[in-house]
Amino acid sequence: MTVTLRGIRGNISRLLRLLSLEVLLLIPFILFVGLFEIYPILNMAYRSLFDLNGNFTLANYINAFTKPQFRFAIRNSLLFATAASLVGGIGGTFVAALAVRLPARWRNLLLSLYALPMTLSGLVVAFAFIVLLGRNGILNLLVRRAFSLPPTFYFNLYDWPGIVMVYAFFQIPLMTLSMSAVFENLDPNLIEAARNLGARSWQVWRYVVIPVLLPGFLAGMSIQFAGMMGAFGTVLALVGMAKNLLSLQIYSHSSESTYNLPQAGALAMVLITITGTALLLLSWSARRLARRGA
Amino acid sequence: MIRWILFVLLVLYIVVPLLMPVIFSFSVFWQDILPQGFTLRWYEAILTRPANYEALLVSLTVAFGAVLLNLVITVPAAYALNRAGPGWGQRLREGAVILPLLFPPLVVGTALLQAFTRPPLALTGTIWMVIIAHAILGFPFMFRLVLAAFQTIDERTLSEAAASLGATFWQRMRYVLIPNVMPGILSGALLVFAISMGEFEVTSMVAGFTAQTLPLRLFQQIRNDMRIASAITAFLIYVSFLSFVLMTYLGARMRRLRA
Repeated sequence: MTVTLRGIRGNISRLLRLLSLEVLLLIPFILFVGLFEIYPILNMAYRSLFDLNGNFTLANYINAFTKPQFRFAIRNSLLFATAASLVGGIGGTFVAALAVRLPARWRNLLLSLYALPMTLSGLVVAFAFIVLLGRNGILNLLVRRAFSLPPTFYFNLYDWPGIVMVYAFFQIPLMTLSMSAVFENLDPNLIEAARNLGARSWQVWRYVVIPVLLPGFLAGMSIQFAGMMGAFGTVLALVGMAKNLLSLQIYSHSSESTYNLPQAGALAMVLITITGTALLLLSWSARRLARRGA
Repeated sequence: MIRWILFVLLVLYIVVPLLMPVIFSFSVFWQDILPQGFTLRWYEAILTRPANYEALLVSLTVAFGAVLLNLVITVPAAYALNRAGPGWGQRLREGAVILPLLFPPLVVGTALLQAFTRPPLALTGTIWMVIIAHAILGFPFMFRLVLAAFQTIDERTLSEAAASLGATFWQRMRYVLIPNVMPGILSGALLVFAISMGEFEVTSMVAGFTAQTLPLRLFQQIRNDMRIASAITAFLIYVSFLSFVLMTYLGARMRRLRA
Protein backbone atom coordinates (compact mmCIF):
# COMPACT_ATOMS: atom_id res chain seq x y z
CA MET A 1 0.00 0.00 0.00
CA THR A 2 2.64 2.46 1.09
CA VAL A 3 4.75 1.44 -1.82
CA THR A 4 2.02 2.25 -4.35
CA LEU A 5 1.19 5.51 -2.55
CA ARG A 6 4.78 6.57 -2.70
CA GLY A 7 4.77 5.49 -6.33
CA ILE A 8 1.76 7.65 -7.08
CA ARG A 9 3.21 10.62 -5.23
CA GLY A 10 6.41 10.15 -7.20
CA ASN A 11 4.48 10.07 -10.45
CA ILE A 12 2.55 13.23 -9.59
CA SER A 13 5.66 15.18 -8.69
CA ARG A 14 7.29 13.95 -11.88
CA LEU A 15 4.20 15.05 -13.81
CA LEU A 16 4.34 18.50 -12.20
CA ARG A 17 7.97 18.84 -13.10
CA LEU A 18 7.10 17.90 -16.66
CA LEU A 19 4.30 20.48 -16.74
CA SER A 20 6.87 23.21 -17.08
CA LEU A 21 6.99 25.94 -19.65
CA GLU A 22 8.50 23.56 -22.18
CA VAL A 23 5.47 21.31 -22.09
CA LEU A 24 3.11 24.27 -22.41
CA LEU A 25 4.99 25.34 -25.51
CA LEU A 26 4.46 21.88 -26.98
CA ILE A 27 0.67 22.13 -26.68
CA PRO A 28 -0.02 23.69 -30.11
CA PHE A 29 2.11 21.01 -31.75
CA ILE A 30 0.52 18.13 -29.83
CA LEU A 31 -3.01 19.44 -30.41
CA PHE A 32 -2.37 19.94 -34.09
CA VAL A 33 -0.73 16.59 -34.77
CA GLY A 34 -3.22 14.80 -32.54
CA LEU A 35 -6.33 16.34 -34.05
CA PHE A 36 -5.29 16.55 -37.68
CA GLU A 37 -2.95 13.60 -38.13
CA ILE A 38 -3.32 10.92 -35.44
CA TYR A 39 -7.09 11.15 -34.93
CA PRO A 40 -7.96 11.09 -38.66
CA ILE A 41 -5.74 8.04 -39.21
CA LEU A 42 -7.23 6.16 -36.23
CA ASN A 43 -10.69 7.15 -37.46
CA MET A 44 -9.84 5.85 -40.94
CA ALA A 45 -8.52 2.58 -39.50
CA TYR A 46 -11.75 2.15 -37.50
CA ARG A 47 -14.03 2.92 -40.43
CA SER A 48 -12.16 0.53 -42.70
CA LEU A 49 -13.71 -2.26 -40.59
CA PHE A 50 -17.24 -1.40 -41.73
CA ASP A 51 -19.03 -1.72 -45.04
CA LEU A 52 -20.86 1.13 -46.76
CA ASN A 53 -24.02 0.38 -44.75
CA GLY A 54 -22.20 0.55 -41.44
CA ASN A 55 -22.04 -3.19 -40.66
CA PHE A 56 -18.86 -4.65 -39.21
CA THR A 57 -16.86 -6.56 -41.80
CA LEU A 58 -13.36 -7.61 -42.72
CA ALA A 59 -14.31 -7.64 -46.40
CA ASN A 60 -12.31 -4.51 -47.18
CA TYR A 61 -9.13 -6.22 -46.02
CA ILE A 62 -10.02 -9.55 -47.63
CA ASN A 63 -10.65 -7.66 -50.88
CA ALA A 64 -7.26 -5.98 -50.62
CA PHE A 65 -5.53 -9.36 -50.79
CA THR A 66 -7.92 -11.35 -52.99
CA LYS A 67 -9.30 -9.03 -55.68
CA PRO A 68 -6.91 -9.22 -58.68
CA GLN A 69 -7.19 -5.44 -59.15
CA PHE A 70 -5.79 -4.77 -55.67
CA ARG A 71 -3.31 -7.63 -55.68
CA PHE A 72 -1.77 -6.31 -58.87
CA ALA A 73 -1.78 -2.82 -57.38
CA ILE A 74 0.16 -4.00 -54.32
CA ARG A 75 2.59 -6.01 -56.43
CA ASN A 76 3.12 -3.11 -58.87
CA SER A 77 3.63 -0.64 -56.03
CA LEU A 78 6.26 -2.86 -54.39
CA LEU A 79 8.11 -3.31 -57.67
CA PHE A 80 7.78 0.34 -58.67
CA ALA A 81 8.86 1.69 -55.25
CA THR A 82 11.83 -0.69 -55.17
CA ALA A 83 12.94 0.21 -58.70
CA ALA A 84 12.51 3.96 -58.19
CA SER A 85 14.32 3.83 -54.81
CA LEU A 86 17.23 1.90 -56.29
CA VAL A 87 17.55 4.34 -59.20
CA GLY A 88 17.30 7.29 -56.80
CA GLY A 89 19.55 5.70 -54.20
CA ILE A 90 22.36 4.76 -56.57
CA GLY A 91 22.06 7.93 -58.67
CA GLY A 92 21.95 10.18 -55.61
CA THR A 93 24.93 8.46 -53.99
CA PHE A 94 26.89 8.97 -57.18
CA VAL A 95 26.00 12.69 -57.36
CA ALA A 96 26.88 13.18 -53.69
CA ALA A 97 30.21 11.36 -54.15
CA LEU A 98 31.03 13.78 -56.95
CA ALA A 99 29.79 16.82 -55.01
CA VAL A 100 32.13 16.27 -52.04
CA ARG A 101 35.08 16.18 -54.42
CA LEU A 102 34.28 19.64 -55.81
CA PRO A 103 35.61 22.96 -54.39
CA ALA A 104 33.22 24.31 -51.73
CA ARG A 105 31.72 26.98 -53.95
CA TRP A 106 30.73 24.62 -56.75
CA ARG A 107 29.60 21.97 -54.31
CA ASN A 108 27.21 24.42 -52.66
CA LEU A 109 25.90 25.47 -56.06
CA LEU A 110 25.26 21.86 -57.04
CA LEU A 111 23.60 21.00 -53.72
CA SER A 112 21.36 24.11 -53.82
CA LEU A 113 20.30 23.16 -57.31
CA TYR A 114 19.57 19.60 -56.18
CA ALA A 115 17.41 20.92 -53.33
CA LEU A 116 15.09 22.58 -55.86
CA PRO A 117 12.99 19.53 -56.89
CA MET A 118 11.98 19.03 -53.23
CA THR A 119 9.31 21.73 -53.45
CA LEU A 120 8.35 21.22 -57.08
CA SER A 121 4.86 19.99 -57.82
CA GLY A 122 4.62 16.52 -59.34
CA LEU A 123 2.63 18.16 -62.11
CA VAL A 124 5.42 20.60 -62.94
CA VAL A 125 7.86 17.75 -63.43
CA ALA A 126 5.31 15.73 -65.42
CA PHE A 127 4.75 18.71 -67.73
CA ALA A 128 8.50 19.30 -68.16
CA PHE A 129 9.09 15.68 -69.17
CA ILE A 130 6.10 15.59 -71.52
CA VAL A 131 7.62 18.52 -73.43
CA LEU A 132 11.08 16.94 -73.35
CA LEU A 133 10.30 13.26 -73.92
CA GLY A 134 6.64 12.91 -74.79
CA ARG A 135 5.69 11.12 -78.02
CA ASN A 136 6.56 14.28 -79.96
CA GLY A 137 8.88 15.66 -77.32
CA ILE A 138 12.00 17.58 -78.25
CA LEU A 139 14.45 14.76 -77.60
CA ASN A 140 12.36 12.20 -79.46
CA LEU A 141 12.07 14.58 -82.44
CA LEU A 142 15.82 15.25 -82.39
CA VAL A 143 16.74 11.57 -82.35
CA ARG A 144 14.20 10.75 -85.08
CA ARG A 145 15.47 13.56 -87.34
CA ALA A 146 19.12 12.80 -86.71
CA PHE A 147 18.79 9.15 -87.70
CA SER A 148 15.79 9.53 -90.10
CA LEU A 149 13.69 7.14 -88.07
CA PRO A 150 9.94 6.64 -88.59
CA PRO A 151 7.46 8.46 -86.27
CA THR A 152 6.67 5.13 -84.61
CA PHE A 153 10.11 5.31 -82.98
CA TYR A 154 10.12 7.14 -79.67
CA PHE A 155 11.12 6.77 -76.04
CA ASN A 156 7.90 5.79 -74.29
CA LEU A 157 7.49 8.12 -71.32
CA TYR A 158 4.13 6.55 -70.52
CA ASP A 159 5.33 3.10 -69.50
CA TRP A 160 7.08 1.93 -66.30
CA PRO A 161 10.67 2.79 -67.31
CA GLY A 162 9.52 6.27 -68.32
CA ILE A 163 7.58 6.77 -65.08
CA VAL A 164 10.56 5.61 -63.00
CA MET A 165 12.75 8.02 -64.95
CA VAL A 166 10.47 10.97 -64.23
CA TYR A 167 10.35 10.11 -60.51
CA ALA A 168 14.16 9.90 -60.54
CA PHE A 169 14.05 13.66 -61.01
CA PHE A 170 12.72 13.84 -57.44
CA GLN A 171 14.52 10.83 -55.99
CA ILE A 172 18.09 11.40 -57.16
CA PRO A 173 18.25 14.95 -55.72
CA LEU A 174 16.65 13.78 -52.47
CA MET A 175 19.28 11.05 -52.06
CA THR A 176 22.02 13.51 -53.05
CA LEU A 177 21.10 15.71 -50.10
CA SER A 178 21.07 12.82 -47.59
CA MET A 179 24.28 11.26 -48.89
CA SER A 180 26.31 14.47 -49.18
CA ALA A 181 26.01 14.84 -45.39
CA VAL A 182 27.15 11.22 -44.98
CA PHE A 183 30.12 11.66 -47.32
CA GLU A 184 31.21 14.75 -45.41
CA ASN A 185 31.41 12.59 -42.29
CA LEU A 186 33.77 10.18 -44.02
CA ASP A 187 37.12 11.11 -42.53
CA PRO A 188 39.88 11.03 -45.19
CA ASN A 189 42.42 10.42 -42.42
CA LEU A 190 40.73 7.11 -41.71
CA ILE A 191 41.25 5.97 -45.30
CA GLU A 192 44.80 7.27 -45.24
CA ALA A 193 45.48 5.35 -42.02
CA ALA A 194 44.06 2.13 -43.47
CA ARG A 195 46.26 2.52 -46.54
CA ASN A 196 49.34 3.16 -44.43
CA LEU A 197 48.61 0.01 -42.51
CA GLY A 198 48.83 -1.85 -45.78
CA ALA A 199 45.15 -2.34 -46.59
CA ARG A 200 44.44 -3.06 -50.23
CA SER A 201 41.99 -0.96 -52.21
CA TRP A 202 39.15 -3.47 -51.78
CA GLN A 203 39.93 -3.81 -48.09
CA VAL A 204 39.70 -0.02 -47.62
CA TRP A 205 36.26 -0.15 -49.25
CA ARG A 206 35.12 -3.24 -47.41
CA TYR A 207 36.32 -2.33 -43.92
CA VAL A 208 36.42 1.48 -43.87
CA VAL A 209 34.35 3.25 -46.50
CA ILE A 210 31.26 1.04 -46.78
CA PRO A 211 30.70 0.61 -43.01
CA VAL A 212 30.73 4.41 -42.62
CA LEU A 213 28.43 5.02 -45.57
CA LEU A 214 26.01 2.12 -45.24
CA PRO A 215 23.85 3.32 -42.29
CA GLY A 216 23.33 6.70 -43.99
CA PHE A 217 22.64 4.97 -47.29
CA LEU A 218 20.00 2.74 -45.69
CA ALA A 219 18.40 5.75 -43.98
CA GLY A 220 18.26 7.50 -47.34
CA MET A 221 16.76 4.40 -48.95
CA SER A 222 13.97 4.29 -46.38
CA ILE A 223 13.04 7.88 -47.23
CA GLN A 224 13.09 6.92 -50.91
CA PHE A 225 10.99 3.80 -50.52
CA ALA A 226 8.42 5.40 -48.20
CA GLY A 227 8.04 8.34 -50.55
CA MET A 228 7.59 6.15 -53.61
CA MET A 229 4.95 3.90 -52.01
CA GLY A 230 2.71 6.94 -51.57
CA ALA A 231 3.53 8.73 -54.81
CA PHE A 232 0.79 9.19 -57.39
CA GLY A 233 0.58 12.82 -58.61
CA THR A 234 3.07 12.53 -61.45
CA VAL A 235 1.74 9.15 -62.62
CA LEU A 236 -1.78 10.55 -62.62
CA ALA A 237 -0.66 13.48 -64.75
CA LEU A 238 1.24 11.22 -67.15
CA VAL A 239 -1.05 8.23 -67.67
CA GLY A 240 -4.20 8.88 -65.64
CA MET A 241 -5.49 5.63 -64.17
CA ALA A 242 -3.95 3.51 -66.94
CA LYS A 243 -1.33 2.15 -64.54
CA ASN A 244 -2.35 0.19 -61.49
CA LEU A 245 -0.63 1.29 -58.28
CA LEU A 246 -1.76 0.93 -54.67
CA SER A 247 -1.49 4.71 -54.26
CA LEU A 248 -3.66 5.30 -57.33
CA GLN A 249 -6.25 2.80 -56.04
CA ILE A 250 -6.42 4.66 -52.72
CA TYR A 251 -6.74 7.95 -54.56
CA SER A 252 -9.48 6.76 -56.88
CA HIS A 253 -11.45 5.09 -54.06
CA SER A 254 -11.40 8.25 -52.02
CA SER A 255 -11.99 10.92 -54.62
CA GLU A 256 -13.12 9.58 -57.96
CA SER A 257 -16.08 7.75 -59.42
CA THR A 258 -15.22 4.46 -57.68
CA TYR A 259 -15.80 6.26 -54.37
CA ASN A 260 -15.61 3.81 -51.46
CA LEU A 261 -14.00 5.33 -48.38
CA PRO A 262 -13.85 2.21 -46.15
CA GLN A 263 -12.08 0.35 -48.97
CA ALA A 264 -9.70 3.29 -49.46
CA GLY A 265 -9.06 3.23 -45.71
CA ALA A 266 -8.26 -0.49 -45.72
CA LEU A 267 -5.88 -0.04 -48.65
CA ALA A 268 -4.26 2.90 -46.87
CA MET A 269 -3.72 0.70 -43.79
CA VAL A 270 -2.08 -1.93 -46.02
CA LEU A 271 0.17 0.80 -47.41
CA ILE A 272 1.11 2.05 -43.93
CA THR A 273 1.92 -1.53 -42.90
CA ILE A 274 4.17 -2.09 -45.92
CA THR A 275 5.96 1.24 -45.45
CA GLY A 276 6.26 0.69 -41.68
CA THR A 277 7.75 -2.79 -42.16
CA ALA A 278 10.25 -1.48 -44.69
CA LEU A 279 11.25 1.39 -42.38
CA LEU A 280 11.68 -1.00 -39.45
CA LEU A 281 13.77 -3.46 -41.47
CA LEU A 282 16.01 -0.74 -42.85
CA SER A 283 16.53 1.02 -39.52
CA TRP A 284 17.13 -2.34 -37.80
CA SER A 285 19.84 -3.30 -40.28
CA ALA A 286 21.37 0.19 -40.12
CA ARG A 287 21.53 -0.01 -36.32
CA ARG A 288 22.99 -3.51 -36.42
CA LEU A 289 25.68 -2.36 -38.81
CA ALA A 290 26.44 0.70 -36.71
CA ARG A 291 26.72 -1.40 -33.54
CA ARG A 292 28.96 -3.97 -35.16
CA GLY A 293 31.09 -1.05 -36.30
CA ALA A 294 32.31 -3.50 -38.90
CA MET B 1 38.65 17.19 -66.15
CA ILE B 2 36.16 14.31 -66.07
CA ARG B 3 34.92 15.74 -62.77
CA TRP B 4 33.98 19.03 -64.44
CA ILE B 5 32.28 17.37 -67.40
CA LEU B 6 30.20 15.37 -64.91
CA PHE B 7 29.48 18.54 -62.96
CA VAL B 8 28.14 20.28 -66.07
CA LEU B 9 26.05 17.22 -66.99
CA LEU B 10 24.57 17.06 -63.48
CA VAL B 11 23.68 20.76 -63.59
CA LEU B 12 22.04 20.25 -66.98
CA TYR B 13 20.08 17.28 -65.61
CA ILE B 14 18.16 19.65 -63.33
CA VAL B 15 18.21 22.78 -65.46
CA VAL B 16 17.18 21.42 -68.88
CA PRO B 17 13.86 19.82 -67.86
CA LEU B 18 12.92 22.91 -65.85
CA LEU B 19 13.71 25.20 -68.78
CA MET B 20 11.21 23.36 -71.02
CA PRO B 21 8.01 24.79 -69.48
CA VAL B 22 9.66 28.22 -69.22
CA ILE B 23 10.52 28.32 -72.94
CA PHE B 24 7.11 26.87 -73.80
CA SER B 25 5.36 29.58 -71.79
CA PHE B 26 7.02 32.41 -73.75
CA SER B 27 6.50 30.96 -77.24
CA VAL B 28 3.54 31.43 -79.55
CA PHE B 29 3.68 27.77 -80.43
CA TRP B 30 6.09 24.89 -80.08
CA GLN B 31 5.30 21.94 -82.31
CA ASP B 32 8.68 21.31 -83.86
CA ILE B 33 12.19 21.14 -82.42
CA LEU B 34 12.46 24.90 -82.06
CA PRO B 35 9.73 27.10 -80.52
CA GLN B 36 8.15 29.86 -82.62
CA GLY B 37 7.63 33.53 -81.72
CA PHE B 38 7.59 35.33 -78.39
CA THR B 39 4.47 36.16 -76.38
CA LEU B 40 3.30 36.94 -72.88
CA ARG B 41 -0.27 35.92 -73.74
CA TRP B 42 -0.25 32.74 -71.64
CA TYR B 43 0.85 34.61 -68.53
CA GLU B 44 -1.85 37.18 -69.25
CA ALA B 45 -4.34 34.31 -69.23
CA ILE B 46 -3.45 33.55 -65.62
CA LEU B 47 -4.38 37.06 -64.59
CA THR B 48 -7.33 37.75 -66.89
CA ARG B 49 -9.28 34.47 -66.90
CA PRO B 50 -11.36 34.47 -63.71
CA ALA B 51 -10.93 30.73 -63.04
CA ASN B 52 -7.12 31.01 -63.23
CA TYR B 53 -6.94 34.25 -61.28
CA GLU B 54 -9.17 32.91 -58.51
CA ALA B 55 -7.04 29.77 -58.31
CA LEU B 56 -3.97 31.99 -57.91
CA LEU B 57 -5.63 33.88 -55.06
CA VAL B 58 -6.74 30.64 -53.38
CA SER B 59 -3.18 29.27 -53.67
CA LEU B 60 -1.67 32.40 -52.13
CA THR B 61 -4.23 32.42 -49.30
CA VAL B 62 -3.61 28.73 -48.55
CA ALA B 63 0.18 29.15 -48.66
CA PHE B 64 0.14 32.13 -46.27
CA GLY B 65 -2.32 30.30 -44.02
CA ALA B 66 -0.13 27.20 -43.88
CA VAL B 67 2.94 29.34 -43.09
CA LEU B 68 1.14 31.20 -40.27
CA LEU B 69 -0.19 27.98 -38.78
CA ASN B 70 3.28 26.44 -38.90
CA LEU B 71 4.84 29.48 -37.23
CA VAL B 72 2.50 29.04 -34.26
CA ILE B 73 3.19 25.30 -34.03
CA THR B 74 6.82 24.94 -35.02
CA VAL B 75 8.67 27.73 -33.24
CA PRO B 76 7.46 26.93 -29.69
CA ALA B 77 7.78 23.17 -30.33
CA ALA B 78 11.33 23.49 -31.66
CA TYR B 79 12.31 25.67 -28.69
CA ALA B 80 10.85 23.18 -26.21
CA LEU B 81 12.19 20.05 -27.91
CA ASN B 82 15.65 21.57 -28.25
CA ARG B 83 15.70 21.89 -24.45
CA ALA B 84 14.10 18.50 -23.79
CA GLY B 85 16.48 15.80 -22.64
CA PRO B 86 17.65 12.70 -24.41
CA GLY B 87 14.66 10.59 -23.20
CA TRP B 88 11.20 11.56 -24.40
CA GLY B 89 12.60 14.69 -26.05
CA GLN B 90 14.74 12.60 -28.39
CA ARG B 91 11.80 10.31 -29.08
CA LEU B 92 9.55 13.25 -30.01
CA ARG B 93 12.27 14.79 -32.17
CA GLU B 94 12.66 11.50 -34.04
CA GLY B 95 8.89 11.05 -34.21
CA ALA B 96 8.48 14.41 -35.92
CA VAL B 97 10.85 13.17 -38.62
CA ILE B 98 9.44 9.64 -38.98
CA LEU B 99 5.74 10.56 -38.92
CA PRO B 100 5.66 11.98 -42.47
CA LEU B 101 7.52 8.91 -43.77
CA LEU B 102 5.06 6.52 -42.18
CA PHE B 103 2.01 8.58 -43.14
CA PRO B 104 2.64 9.84 -46.67
CA PRO B 105 0.55 12.76 -48.02
CA LEU B 106 -1.76 10.26 -49.72
CA VAL B 107 -2.69 8.62 -46.40
CA VAL B 108 -3.06 11.96 -44.62
CA GLY B 109 -5.35 13.08 -47.43
CA THR B 110 -7.57 10.00 -47.30
CA ALA B 111 -7.76 10.22 -43.50
CA LEU B 112 -8.48 13.96 -43.33
CA LEU B 113 -11.14 13.58 -45.98
CA GLN B 114 -13.27 11.30 -43.82
CA ALA B 115 -12.49 12.71 -40.37
CA PHE B 116 -14.07 16.13 -40.68
CA THR B 117 -17.31 15.71 -42.60
CA ARG B 118 -19.74 16.53 -39.78
CA PRO B 119 -20.30 19.59 -37.57
CA PRO B 120 -18.77 21.00 -35.43
CA LEU B 121 -15.78 20.42 -37.69
CA ALA B 122 -17.26 20.06 -41.18
CA LEU B 123 -14.03 21.11 -42.84
CA THR B 124 -13.81 18.74 -45.82
CA GLY B 125 -14.11 20.58 -49.09
CA THR B 126 -13.39 23.98 -47.53
CA ILE B 127 -10.29 26.11 -47.84
CA TRP B 128 -9.61 25.46 -44.11
CA MET B 129 -9.05 21.78 -44.79
CA VAL B 130 -6.56 22.65 -47.54
CA ILE B 131 -4.68 25.02 -45.22
CA ILE B 132 -4.53 22.37 -42.48
CA ALA B 133 -3.39 19.68 -44.92
CA HIS B 134 -0.62 21.90 -46.30
CA ALA B 135 0.46 22.83 -42.78
CA ILE B 136 0.81 19.12 -41.93
CA LEU B 137 2.88 18.47 -45.06
CA GLY B 138 5.13 21.46 -44.44
CA PHE B 139 5.58 20.87 -40.71
CA PRO B 140 8.49 18.37 -40.73
CA PHE B 141 10.52 20.54 -43.10
CA MET B 142 10.03 23.71 -41.08
CA PHE B 143 10.51 21.90 -37.78
CA ARG B 144 13.87 20.53 -38.86
CA LEU B 145 15.12 23.96 -39.97
CA VAL B 146 13.95 25.81 -36.83
CA LEU B 147 15.28 23.06 -34.53
CA ALA B 148 18.63 23.23 -36.33
CA ALA B 149 18.64 27.00 -35.83
CA PHE B 150 18.10 26.63 -32.06
CA GLN B 151 20.86 24.01 -31.92
CA THR B 152 23.24 26.17 -33.97
CA ILE B 153 23.03 29.24 -31.73
CA ASP B 154 23.45 27.09 -28.60
CA GLU B 155 20.21 28.42 -27.18
CA ARG B 156 20.80 27.22 -23.59
CA THR B 157 24.07 29.06 -23.13
CA LEU B 158 22.64 32.22 -24.71
CA SER B 159 19.53 32.06 -22.53
CA GLU B 160 21.57 31.53 -19.37
CA ALA B 161 23.82 34.44 -20.23
CA ALA B 162 20.80 36.68 -20.84
CA ALA B 163 19.09 35.46 -17.66
CA SER B 164 22.19 36.15 -15.58
CA LEU B 165 21.98 39.73 -16.85
CA GLY B 166 18.42 39.87 -15.50
CA ALA B 167 16.41 39.32 -18.70
CA THR B 168 12.96 37.78 -18.16
CA PHE B 169 11.68 34.96 -20.35
CA TRP B 170 9.89 37.31 -22.73
CA GLN B 171 12.84 39.67 -22.93
CA ARG B 172 15.14 36.75 -23.74
CA MET B 173 12.75 35.67 -26.49
CA ARG B 174 12.22 39.12 -27.89
CA TYR B 175 15.79 40.45 -27.85
CA VAL B 176 18.03 37.40 -27.88
CA LEU B 177 16.53 34.18 -29.17
CA ILE B 178 14.05 35.14 -31.89
CA PRO B 179 16.44 37.53 -33.67
CA ASN B 180 19.11 34.84 -33.61
CA VAL B 181 16.98 32.03 -35.02
CA MET B 182 15.19 34.34 -37.49
CA PRO B 183 17.11 33.05 -40.56
CA GLY B 184 16.02 29.50 -39.67
CA ILE B 185 12.39 30.55 -39.16
CA LEU B 186 12.35 32.49 -42.43
CA SER B 187 13.91 29.58 -44.33
CA GLY B 188 11.30 27.25 -42.90
CA ALA B 189 8.51 29.65 -43.79
CA LEU B 190 9.77 29.92 -47.36
CA LEU B 191 10.00 26.15 -47.67
CA VAL B 192 6.44 25.70 -46.39
CA PHE B 193 5.26 28.42 -48.75
CA ALA B 194 6.94 26.81 -51.76
CA ILE B 195 5.66 23.33 -50.89
CA SER B 196 2.14 24.65 -50.42
CA MET B 197 2.13 26.57 -53.71
CA GLY B 198 3.02 23.41 -55.64
CA GLU B 199 1.06 20.79 -53.68
CA PHE B 200 -1.30 18.76 -55.83
CA GLU B 201 -1.84 15.29 -54.35
CA VAL B 202 -3.52 16.01 -51.03
CA THR B 203 -5.21 19.14 -52.32
CA SER B 204 -6.97 17.19 -55.03
CA MET B 205 -8.36 14.87 -52.37
CA VAL B 206 -9.54 17.30 -49.69
CA ALA B 207 -10.40 20.41 -51.69
CA GLY B 208 -13.93 20.81 -52.92
CA PHE B 209 -14.96 23.06 -55.76
CA THR B 210 -14.61 26.09 -53.50
CA ALA B 211 -10.88 25.66 -52.96
CA GLN B 212 -9.43 25.17 -56.45
CA THR B 213 -5.72 25.91 -56.15
CA LEU B 214 -3.36 26.70 -59.02
CA PRO B 215 -1.97 23.13 -59.25
CA LEU B 216 -5.54 21.76 -59.48
CA ARG B 217 -6.16 24.19 -62.32
CA LEU B 218 -2.89 23.07 -63.90
CA PHE B 219 -4.03 19.45 -63.77
CA GLN B 220 -7.13 20.33 -65.83
CA GLN B 221 -5.13 22.48 -68.24
CA ILE B 222 -2.54 19.76 -68.99
CA ARG B 223 -5.40 17.93 -70.73
CA ASN B 224 -7.09 21.01 -72.25
CA ASP B 225 -4.56 23.67 -73.16
CA MET B 226 -0.83 23.01 -72.92
CA ARG B 227 -0.04 26.71 -73.42
CA ILE B 228 -1.94 27.90 -70.34
CA ALA B 229 -0.54 24.86 -68.53
CA SER B 230 2.98 25.95 -69.50
CA ALA B 231 2.48 29.41 -67.99
CA ILE B 232 1.16 27.97 -64.71
CA THR B 233 3.98 25.41 -64.63
CA ALA B 234 6.59 28.11 -65.29
CA PHE B 235 5.05 30.31 -62.57
CA LEU B 236 5.31 27.45 -60.04
CA ILE B 237 8.95 26.93 -61.04
CA TYR B 238 9.65 30.65 -60.42
CA VAL B 239 8.08 30.39 -56.95
CA SER B 240 10.27 27.39 -56.03
CA PHE B 241 13.35 28.96 -57.55
CA LEU B 242 12.94 32.31 -55.76
CA SER B 243 12.27 30.54 -52.46
CA PHE B 244 15.49 28.59 -52.84
CA VAL B 245 17.55 31.63 -53.81
CA LEU B 246 16.30 33.37 -50.65
CA MET B 247 16.89 30.24 -48.55
CA THR B 248 20.45 29.90 -49.85
CA TYR B 249 21.06 33.54 -48.91
CA LEU B 250 19.60 32.94 -45.42
CA GLY B 251 21.65 29.77 -45.06
CA ALA B 252 24.82 31.70 -45.85
CA ARG B 253 23.88 34.30 -43.21
CA MET B 254 23.27 31.52 -40.71
CA ARG B 255 26.71 30.07 -41.43
CA ARG B 256 28.31 33.50 -40.96
CA LEU B 257 26.55 33.83 -37.58
CA ARG B 258 27.96 30.51 -36.48
CA ALA B 259 31.49 31.50 -37.52
